[in-house]
Amino acid sequence: MLKRILNIFARDLKINSREFITLYIMIIPLVMAVGINFISPSINDTTVNLALIKDENLEQAGYFDDFAHVELFDDRQGVENRIMARDDVLGVLPEGDGYYILTQGNEPGFIKEYAKLLNVLYESDVQLEDARSEIVEFGRTVPPLKKRLVNMLLLLISMLAGMLIAMNILEEKMDKTVSAINVTPTSRSAFILGKGFTGMFVAVVSSIACILITGFYDVNLGQAALVIFSTTILSLIIGFLQGLNSNDIMEAAGSVKLLFLPLGGSVAGYEFVTGNWQIFFWWSPFYWAYRANDNILSKSGTWPQLLLFVGIILAICGVVYALLAPRIARKL
Amino acid sequence: MKLLSSFKKELILASRSFYFYIELGSALVILAVLLLAVPENFSTTTTQYLYLGFPQAEKEMYVDTVLESESGVESEMVEIEAGGKTYDAQLITTDGEEIYIVDSEEAVEKLAYEKQAPGAVVKLDNSNQLSFKYYLQGYESTRLKNLISIMFNKDIGTLEEQIKNQEIRSLTADYEPINDRENTIPPIISFSSGLMGMFILASYIFLDKKEGVIKAYAVTASSVWQYLMSKIFVVSLTSVISGLIITMPVMGFRINYGLVLLLLLTTGFFSSSLGLLISSFYNDLMKAFGVIYLLVILFMVPAIAYFIPGWDPFWIKLIPTYPLMQGFKEIILPKGDIIYPLIASAGFLAAGVILFAVTNIRFKKTLSV
Repeated sequence: MLKRILNIFARDLKINSREFITLYIMIIPLVMAVGINFISPSINDTTVNLALIKDENLEQAGYFDDFAHVELFDDRQGVENRIMARDDVLGVLPEGDGYYILTQGNEPGFIKEYAKLLNVLYESDVQLEDARSEIVEFGRTVPPLKKRLVNMLLLLISMLAGMLIAMNILEEKMDKTVSAINVTPTSRSAFILGKGFTGMFVAVVSSIACILITGFYDVNLGQAALVIFSTTILSLIIGFLQGLNSNDIMEAAGSVKLLFLPLGGSVAGYEFVTGNWQIFFWWSPFYWAYRANDNILSKSGTWPQLLLFVGIILAICGVVYALLAPRIARKL
Repeated sequence: MKLLSSFKKELILASRSFYFYIELGSALVILAVLLLAVPENFSTTTTQYLYLGFPQAEKEMYVDTVLESESGVESEMVEIEAGGKTYDAQLITTDGEEIYIVDSEEAVEKLAYEKQAPGAVVKLDNSNQLSFKYYLQGYESTRLKNLISIMFNKDIGTLEEQIKNQEIRSLTADYEPINDRENTIPPIISFSSGLMGMFILASYIFLDKKEGVIKAYAVTASSVWQYLMSKIFVVSLTSVISGLIITMPVMGFRINYGLVLLLLLTTGFFSSSLGLLISSFYNDLMKAFGVIYLLVILFMVPAIAYFIPGWDPFWIKLIPTYPLMQGFKEIILPKGDIIYPLIASAGFLAAGVILFAVTNIRFKKTLSV
């Protein structure tokens, strides 16, 4: 049986490499991982953006530059124009002996408070050299936003892998070879596993590569592999559902959009919805996968906790498979 | 006339395909999630761990000051676990903050490390002045660390008084914010209705290529551009319907639907034309997959800038989804800028026309790829 599974896997791999799709599905996440490395430092450096008048007070501009992003403009009108742009920029403009803060009106409160504090510290002549506070750092270098982006990327990889499986099955369907399997010695489960192997292989390789590219060298790779394995089971079921339920590529493409809903919803639910409201997302295996990945990337995951999350993912997958097994059997 | 009959035919075919109903179904699911699972305002809470190295009476004075600072501030005794140890703490919960006051400096350090949240130790130094020690994770920006290091160089009371007196003026006094649920609509519409057009239209064309429909047009009285345009109409119509399904129940009649329609149609036209152009270079979806997927991912990046308005680099404004999301936001803002969505629509229309013209030339030349 193992030989037959490997034969199906090898055949799919060969076909996929001809079509370049396996390569795409493996390379796209890596490109995205590099992209995450590229944008996350500048996002993390975001504090507050200030607009000042050029040459009006050079010392003030230099002072603010240690605490905020500073842009200089020729005159008051230039500052006002910059403030009215779509992003959050505040002006610090002179009047009489002091300065006032000029806003567009739609900035969040904490940005205004930050700017007010800075101006008060400047006007009170509090210098960086006189700092009295001691700062102890734990040496963590990966900012939370980067962790979230990598986590989303890992979920996306499992979805891409599912798509790969779907397309492989679709290809068999369009060539009308699915039912031909029934008259070969290959069993149905060997066919399912063989077809799923390519996607699972791609998911595991891409996920580990992305974790390493984005700088998470010191996470527990054993734990990561466990979660990746459970999400690939998810990919397998998703892929089969997509592949068997679609009659052509058009329908498979449409169902990709449907898949983005539980994925996006689960991420948003975990990140934005607090307290008991998260119960509404417990049905989604993506929610548990995201939660498990979050623990691993934060290096705060314990084995019992992860095993619980993985168990839940597998249980949900098992229920979905049990419900759909008759349908899969019929379609095959 | 031929265009109209082509459009009618495509519409009938679409209404018989599963895809059309997936589009409408997913719009209804998004709507249900928005209305039932997304709160009007996301409550994000920050956690801090604090040790006050003062005599008990002064500690209590500090806690009383915090409790009286605003309404709704609560205090309770709790136990927190970190690194296998349990610590007693007084938890003070404010609107967006949870402050745990613990009994030792060691507890602050352990909790800040294990829970990955900031910690602070405030003590009196030899000259009876307040001294601060902060525990940070290490990824905080240098600018933020600079601010933290001098923030309390001044007497706290004086600092608060000065901040309160700091004058702040606004250029638009009548700004009315939208809630968090409404704020999620522009990115959802942008991806769900606007840009999926690219993916869907390319899939449509590949299907027709496989079935030889495009080649068959060579022997009909109809021209290729009419065939392509009728496809665009169908995809745009689907995106308009799904966009309205999501927007109308959430926003009601408070927004200008003329502008919504205009932006949806023009972005639908633009993204469909882009999908057409991509499909003119490849034989099937599998080969075009890489380009389409990279574009979809690229188009998602402006969503980061949308949710982090302080991060808005120039290059991100060049990605079409940026004006798309910002245009939708202006439409749903109570006193939003009308000019911006109009200019964005004009831009999408112009770009769509150019892409369509190029695609038409390519299809006319090859009748397949």
